[in-house]
Amino acid sequence: MHKSWKSYNAGDTFDELLAPSTRPRVSARRLVNLLQGLSPEELHSRRAAAELAIRDMGIFFTIYTEGENIDRAWPFDIIPRVIPAQQWDKVSRGLVQRSRALNCFIDDVYNKQKILAEGIVPAELVLDSENYKPQCAGMSPRYGAWAHICGTDLVRDKDGKFYVLEDNLRVPSGVSYLLENREVTKRVLPELFENYSIRPVDDYPSRLYSTLASLSPRDNQRPCIVVLTPGIYNSAYFEHSFLARGMGAQLVEGPDLYVEDDDCVYMLTVDGPQRVDVVYRRIDDEFLDPEVFREDSILGVPGIMRAWRNGNVAIANAPGAGVADDKAIYAYVPAMIRYYLNEQPSLANVKTYLCMHEPDREYVLANLDKLVVKPANESGGYGLMVGPHATKAKRAEFAKLIENNPRNYVAQPTLTLSTAPTCINDDVEPRHLDLRAFILHGKETWVTPGGLTRVAMTKGSLVVNSSQGGGSKDTWIVESST
Amino acid sequence: MILLSRVAERLYWMARYLERAEDTARLVQAYSHLVMDIPADAGPGYEILVQILNAEPSYHDKYRVYNEHNVLKFLIADQDNTGSVTHAIQAARENVRTTRDVLPGEVWEHVNELHLYAQEWAEKSVGRRNRQAFLDEVIARCQMLNGLMITTLCRDHSYRFIKIGKLLERADMTTRVIDVGAGALLGDERLHSSVDPLIWACLLQSLSAMGTYRRTIGPVVEANQMVDFVLREGSLPRSVRFCLNGIRQELAPLSNSAEAIKDLDRARRSLSRFNPEKSTRDELHAFIDKFQAYVMTLSSTIIDTWFSSHRTTIDPEITQ
Repeated sequence: MHKSWKSYNAGDTFDELLAPSTRPRVSARRLVNLLQGLSPEELHSRRAAAELAIRDMGIFFTIYTEGENIDRAWPFDIIPRVIPAQQWDKVSRGLVQRSRALNCFIDDVYNKQKILAEGIVPAELVLDSENYKPQCAGMSPRYGAWAHICGTDLVRDKDGKFYVLEDNLRVPSGVSYLLENREVTKRVLPELFENYSIRPVDDYPSRLYSTLASLSPRDNQRPCIVVLTPGIYNSAYFEHSFLARGMGAQLVEGPDLYVEDDDCVYMLTVDGPQRVDVVYRRIDDEFLDPEVFREDSILGVPGIMRAWRNGNVAIANAPGAGVADDKAIYAYVPAMIRYYLNEQPSLANVKTYLCMHEPDREYVLANLDKLVVKPANESGGYGLMVGPHATKAKRAEFAKLIENNPRNYVAQPTLTLSTAPTCINDDVEPRHLDLRAFILHGKETWVTPGGLTRVAMTKGSLVVNSSQGGGSKDTWIVESST
Repeated sequence: MILLSRVAERLYWMARYLERAEDTARLVQAYSHLVMDIPADAGPGYEILVQILNAEPSYHDKYRVYNEHNVLKFLIADQDNTGSVTHAIQAARENVRTTRDVLPGEVWEHVNELHLYAQEWAEKSVGRRNRQAFLDEVIARCQMLNGLMITTLCRDHSYRFIKIGKLLERADMTTRVIDVGAGALLGDERLHSSVDPLIWACLLQSLSAMGTYRRTIGPVVEANQMVDFVLREGSLPRSVRFCLNGIRQELAPLSNSAEAIKDLDRARRSLSRFNPEKSTRDELHAFIDKFQAYVMTLSSTIIDTWFSSHRTTIDPEITQ
């Protein structure tokens, strides 16, 4: 057995695999036994095999630094994270509930605005947000579905309870890596799949296809679905191409599409123009249609909003869906669940202080050393401050930012994110992690079994984003009968 | 199988650039061998290589005199010369990079390796010492890529545009080789006619056609016969006739191909009517001029019919 298993100490965090006395949790017992039985050399060779598989399979992500695009091999830790199916089913139901409420909210905001009129969500918070797109008002997409693909980030605190950290409703990415992680694990730890009953993940592309197909404006034929990418230089291009291939759909760029005088969208093929029914777009609202949003966008399709408004094409996620993707709006999701569904939220939110409210702001400014401060409208882990790890100067800088623009900042208590054993230079050490689950919402609602586990590879760090040096793990939802 | 116009266009240029890299490497390779055989003052000089590629203007932007070092630097390692081996490889790579979804994964891997190899070695291979090994390697790798595509690609529209691009580029290069060979030699009052057969043999070598020529026609290379062979021997994969027949075969199953086929047939007819055995040097040159104009018309018809339905132009650096 590797010595570092004996000295493994996750401190007061919830560890996903090992209970406090470093005994494996029931669901992780076989996994941990196998791993502990590996000599350091064997562990090393499994890691090398994983690296090789990732290179051979061409799993990479692109980062943009110093004006250059670099393709990096996908950072992967071979030790899977295990979640018992019973626990996950509860989480999964909570995610479905959340997705239903969020879609009701978006549909309401662009139509009757009842929730604003009743003061349950402050109207100015929504209507003054740059994520609110007046160009979408009056639209009601099929099934009331706006956020067809949602990536929700979950964390576990000390007590092991799941909390929702944020809902990504614009162009959430990462799902391809969730599938590829499983592929790599199958190659590297094949013996474990004999002893465990692990829920499969690789039907995601076909689920996505069904969800998108259910949105097609033409019911009578096999819909033409395209994935719209900003192009090769986008950091998620790998995923765009992966999903297009997985669905047998065309991977298109803006100039491949155009809108004809009949207000329908066509793509340019060597056999002539071909009508497009559903656009799974992986570009932001702002770049979608230069006739309506940013005029200088060359990534988008002039007239596509016209086609969408006329019901001739479905766009996923629907333009404007980002109105609910805002860390201040997030604080109101439990209220939305009660309001629209008349249910109690089954997944907890993290306590959130909105700096726009004076009492909250005062509390935040007085407790900057204990809180995580986040800009309301950023993603990728940019522009946030983890109070307990920040310098005095950094805290002063954020105090100023908050006072200048209170609407744009929220704060949350610093959670002690759960940990899992992670290979670090051939030793096994605890590292913090989160989980991004994907929810598909069309005619039906479906949640990925598990999600993409992201790991902060630096000791003690809570920042898991791959653009900032984070790694990832395969995530197993295992049936308890095993 | 749907093929986006943009993807078709990039595949077409990928194939053209790959063929250009290989053909230029072959030409330089063959000529480098020839130079060692002929008396120092008897050969046509290095400018013939620049003339073959029709690159005199861009050559003169950078270099004043034609000498071995300048010309070979220009043809092998000059990033600004769109006809250089390294530039062609880089452009091929860019086009694969943006179409890798429709190509077998290994194509990207190999084209990327070829690019890295050229980046590392081109500059060091201008001199005679490394040149041969470098050019051999480039030719071998291009052939491996071609073989990879021939043995793995589904025979659908993607494959068609790759094949059309490759054959069009090759036909173009073959006529250039003949034209300049003719310009330098045919019918001229020359002092060193003893070296002419060597030059013709060299040009045949650059087309990998020497062996077939010997077997079909004989070991002595004679100008008119050689020209006829390279233009019209339908079984020779680098002959112009072979290229045109291959293009026609791939155009036929495409939609809206009537105009392109018309252009192509015009070129084929003029090739059939032309008789190199009875032509003077000037007639040959006039024929090739006319023929190249047909090929250019065909090329722009292909672009207009299948690619340039593009509303916005994409970076010409990448595509052309």
